[in-house]
Amino acid sequence: MNVVDLVTPAQTEDVITGPPLDPCKLPPAESDAYLELSGVRKTFPGVVANDDIDLTVRRGEIHGLLGENGAGKSTLMNILYGLYEPDAGTITLDGERLDPDSPADAIAGGVGMVHQHFMLIPRLTVAENVVLGDRTQASTVRNDDGALGKLAKVPVLNGLLDALTLDMDAPTERLHDLTEEYGLDVEPEAPVWELDVGERQRVEILKALFRDVELLVLDEPTAVLAPDDAERLFETLERLTERGITVIFITHKLDEVTRVTDRVSVLRDGKRVETVDTDDVTENDLARMMVGRDVLFDVDRPSTEVGEQVLAAEGLETEDERGFEVLSDLDIAVRSGEIVGIAGVSGNGQVDLAESLVGVRRPVAGSVTVGGRDLTGEGPRAFLDAGVSYVPEDRLADATAPELPVLHNLMLKSYREDSHWGRLDYDAAAERAERLVDEFDVRGVRDVRTTPAGDLSGGNLQKLVLARELSRDPDVLVAHQPTRGVDVGAVEFLREAILDQRAEGTGVVLVSENLDEVFALSDRILVLSDGEIVAETTPEEADRETVGLWMGGSVEDPALADAADAEIAGAGDESTATAEGHTDD
Amino acid sequence: MVGFLAGLLDATVRAGTPLLLAAMGEIISERGGVLNLGVEGMMLVGALCGFATTVVTGSPWLGFAVGTLAGAAFATIHAVLCISLKADQVISGVMLTLLGTGLTTYFGQAWISEDIDGFDTVTFPIVGEFLVDLPVVGTALFRNTPTDYLAIMFVPVVGYFLFRTNLGLEVTAVGDDPEAADTMGVPVFTVRYLCVILGGAFAGAAGAHLSLAFSKLWTTGMVAGRGWIAIALVIFAQWRPWRALVGAYLFGGIEALILRSQGLDLALGADAPLAGLINPTVELLTNPQVMAMYPYLATVVVLVATTRNSLKQRVGAPSALLDNYSRELE
Amino acid sequence: MVGGYELDVSARERVPAWLAYGTPLFTVAAALVVSGVALLALGVNPVAAYGTMFVDTLTTPFGITEVLLRAVPLVLTGLAVYLPLRAGLWNVGAEGQLYLGAIAGTWIGLNVDGPGFLVVPVMLVGAGVAGGLWGLIPGLLRARRGVNEIIVTLMLTFVGVELAGYLVRGPMKGGQGNFPVSETLPGAAQLPAIGNLLPDYSRIHVGVLVAILATVAIRYLVRRTETGYEVTVTGSNADAAEGAGIDVEWVYVFVLVAGGVLAGMAGIIEIAGIQGRLRPEFSPGYGFTAIPIALLGRRGALRVFLAGLFFAILVVGGSSMELAFDVPAAIVEVIQALVILFLITAEFFKRYRIGIEREDRDEPAGPTAAGEA
Repeated sequence: MNVVDLVTPAQTEDVITGPPLDPCKLPPAESDAYLELSGVRKTFPGVVANDDIDLTVRRGEIHGLLGENGAGKSTLMNILYGLYEPDAGTITLDGERLDPDSPADAIAGGVGMVHQHFMLIPRLTVAENVVLGDRTQASTVRNDDGALGKLAKVPVLNGLLDALTLDMDAPTERLHDLTEEYGLDVEPEAPVWELDVGERQRVEILKALFRDVELLVLDEPTAVLAPDDAERLFETLERLTERGITVIFITHKLDEVTRVTDRVSVLRDGKRVETVDTDDVTENDLARMMVGRDVLFDVDRPSTEVGEQVLAAEGLETEDERGFEVLSDLDIAVRSGEIVGIAGVSGNGQVDLAESLVGVRRPVAGSVTVGGRDLTGEGPRAFLDAGVSYVPEDRLADATAPELPVLHNLMLKSYREDSHWGRLDYDAAAERAERLVDEFDVRGVRDVRTTPAGDLSGGNLQKLVLARELSRDPDVLVAHQPTRGVDVGAVEFLREAILDQRAEGTGVVLVSENLDEVFALSDRILVLSDGEIVAETTPEEADRETVGLWMGGSVEDPALADAADAEIAGAGDESTATAEGHTDD
Repeated sequence: MVGFLAGLLDATVRAGTPLLLAAMGEIISERGGVLNLGVEGMMLVGALCGFATTVVTGSPWLGFAVGTLAGAAFATIHAVLCISLKADQVISGVMLTLLGTGLTTYFGQAWISEDIDGFDTVTFPIVGEFLVDLPVVGTALFRNTPTDYLAIMFVPVVGYFLFRTNLGLEVTAVGDDPEAADTMGVPVFTVRYLCVILGGAFAGAAGAHLSLAFSKLWTTGMVAGRGWIAIALVIFAQWRPWRALVGAYLFGGIEALILRSQGLDLALGADAPLAGLINPTVELLTNPQVMAMYPYLATVVVLVATTRNSLKQRVGAPSALLDNYSRELE
Repeated sequence: MVGGYELDVSARERVPAWLAYGTPLFTVAAALVVSGVALLALGVNPVAAYGTMFVDTLTTPFGITEVLLRAVPLVLTGLAVYLPLRAGLWNVGAEGQLYLGAIAGTWIGLNVDGPGFLVVPVMLVGAGVAGGLWGLIPGLLRARRGVNEIIVTLMLTFVGVELAGYLVRGPMKGGQGNFPVSETLPGAAQLPAIGNLLPDYSRIHVGVLVAILATVAIRYLVRRTETGYEVTVTGSNADAAEGAGIDVEWVYVFVLVAGGVLAGMAGIIEIAGIQGRLRPEFSPGYGFTAIPIALLGRRGALRVFLAGLFFAILVVGGSSMELAFDVPAAIVEVIQALVILFLITAEFFKRYRIGIEREDRDEPAGPTAAGEA
């Protein structure tokens, strides 16, 4: 595109004397594109997180960013917030280039972010948390009219005085104003440790508002909120936009998208699939965009003899450290020779579920039975002895001791068998370890006795963990994200291994965010959303889109939704679609 | 009895000052998230350097200043090791105590027989002129060495610093959750360096007080475990400057009492009821060595009582104490 | 940084062999060199001084005897810190446990009559029990209530020292005059010498055997037993250990009690083998020196033994250096501290590589690297 073409004859004079017109810098008034991401690309080793993404967000709208885990939403926003440096692409905010090297830069540019994990100091008050790090905000000297104020203009003295004074009155007052204006019900003087989750989130929002951000990004904000608090949050967001603040709302929950967003961009596998007006689509449509229809792996799943119940849990309830409920009244049953796949987006209680089924977490209520024996409240040892194997989500933090040799890691669940009168037969254990390394094709092991487990690549370490857990010939196997971060070759191997174990009669609970995997391996599929099992189906009965719907928290009956879709297609009337495409929650 | 009490109180103040000074520094350091087990070594370094300077220059104030700086310099090693090189804080601290003890013993030989005038006690200006003759408390409150008064004056200063300045806010944040502080733009490393070096400065000052005001001489190992008591004091005071003031004089009082325990005659007459039971018990409880245990036992009790999850969020140790922060851990 | 370049610190993936094996040598050499400066400052020729320190110490029977005798408490307390460290805990209270052992052992030695071959083992056991109890307190507090063991062991150390001081001035007071000291242990209670076979080494007592046996036992425990495995895994990743059904609380109690036992035995060996009677503050800080020794020997009991020997050489050599060159023996503490200082520094360089790079560095792969977004 030629710059000259944009210039009308009357402006030519100006062009000769003034600076060249940059086609990317349209004056704000002529476009309501407030934020423009263009060609953003970001790769991590082995993964393209953002693949040439273009995104436009309009001023004053609530823009939803929808996608599964791994779709690239958080990465994109982290780039915007200065936490990551993109490989390529530009960010334009209100007509100006933004190139943040750190969150401080982003904030200076007017971008604020509320993360999933709150960055708060419980010991300090709300006001102190808000003011933290910005010495100028709370400095008395800046406002002083007298000698002190004059002194404060001196460069070095300036900084010193800022550091060594503190004014909480002005910020507190401002916070009172802000809380009123935006309806955020929080006491600035309250210490944060007293606040509940919803209130703490409001503090995070206040932090951004206090710094006069004009664009606020929220990353899965309702993940930790109760329904009431979530509704309040939505009201708050609406108030924010009424006052001209633009909001980007990252989520995987379809009902939230339809409830609160004006437009929504769906990301999938690092690419932007589409951006639509929320009013124009149904949750069905969104689900389809979110999960797509392609099936990548076609694993051969032979039929097996399904036997007795090996694991059952009833009425499971768990709480997090703050006493907030995670799992609520969850039931699950697994029989020998079947794989029960738990589909769901991360953050809906997967960790609590997996840990409760293996004794690592003691549920607040409910019961867990293994092989007919009630093991409720027992620790990992009891479950281990009962024949339960566990592959946790975080292999480095929970499943292995990376500094110790491969041998020590492989024997972690079986060392008691090699123990005679206190003495451990390392030789026998090493023999067994070597066999496992062979069997499971764990590469990178120079010597089982000396190679530290941490030296292995992700895929091989995972093979090690699986080798250890499967070689016990367990009655129950709980596998949480067994193929995460694993290279393609190893993925195949691991899935085959799980299927083989199933053929041996093990009952498998497969918790996975990867729908392909769930569909490929499961005999039955349970959908976990907000700490509950919201649906049960089989890979034959349901399709990805429907499961995607359920994962997104929708309680729509797909049959009804399909009928509505057909009507839309026939009538071509948008408003009808809106009326019939939603159900009451 | 009155004379005994007066003497006791005088000694209490004198003994409390080094504990108070060292504790001020350690409070700052630990609030920033860095445990400093090298206080004993830093106090020795401050004591020797201060003493030597005074011998050479004749000025106790100069000596005090140098002692303080020496402690700060010594603490810089701890800061570099723990903050930049991510070394284990326990090892680094113990090593510095060892180094400080060794260096001061080694180089201190030459200074053992030296003599100085040091800090004499002075009467507190104006107010003190009138009140110094009060019975019992008069001299204890109003006739002390300048460094005694300095130590007390620092309490509100440190309190102000920690609770009423932006920097103090950042210190608390860094000690509780360096990652959160980092996200808020707080310069975590700089703040931690400051905390550790200030801690060393106070420790050096405490040592200088010992050699320039308390004993006015230098001998090997003259700190005699006060550095460790200061560390205990910080926990006992729950990282609060005003409580450290109370605790310092409490522990100082015990130290003073230990030296004067011969003068204590709390035994009941032999025909008093339960004398057979009470007397030996009292004797045991006022035994000098037993009394010397009290600060340590009290600290353990306080620690056990306050190490409980529900309390941890608002009181108790800085949550990130002993954790070395590194950005790449995210 | 400067001119578009900056200091880049990045984690190493593998430790180069020369660094891994050379480290102990480098650190010792560096420590000696730096301490040499201090020697020069006092007008002493470092080479000559070190010659006396090492050569004389290791080539005379007297020197060797002294080294072995000094090494015993160092090795035992070193092991007392090593074992808890292996489980991820810091036993800063080996000194206090040592005192408790000395107290209990001395009391037994003074009050239990019998032939040496009965009394001595009872003393050792009693000392071990006392030291073990002193380790049980922090162990239980840490296991059950999560109370920081660094502070508790440290505080109990001073309580233990004062306890000894109280006892020798009171209930256990003995000897002539007003000196605070216990009665001298009767001959039967003194550790028998084992060096009688070689007249020049006649002062080497049973304690040396105890130290050697303890080293072997701890080595065996850690490397070959089920408990040792559990300790190792707990120290490496307590969460993984819990998931494997290991009773981490029990591990914590066990290692601190075992450490206390070892330190306690060190205490009575010092009294019954060398000093003959209990005095206040009889220990020159063995329990604290044990900390750097445990660090040096972090990778195994055998290395702890060697580290203990090395520090003993330094101590003994320091005394002879003091005599020969009129240099304060405290230089030894300086050398010890510097060894640790350089070791810490070397540890850092083992884990990180430092380079100078251009300003625009790559972002590290964050937590979302493996498939989260």
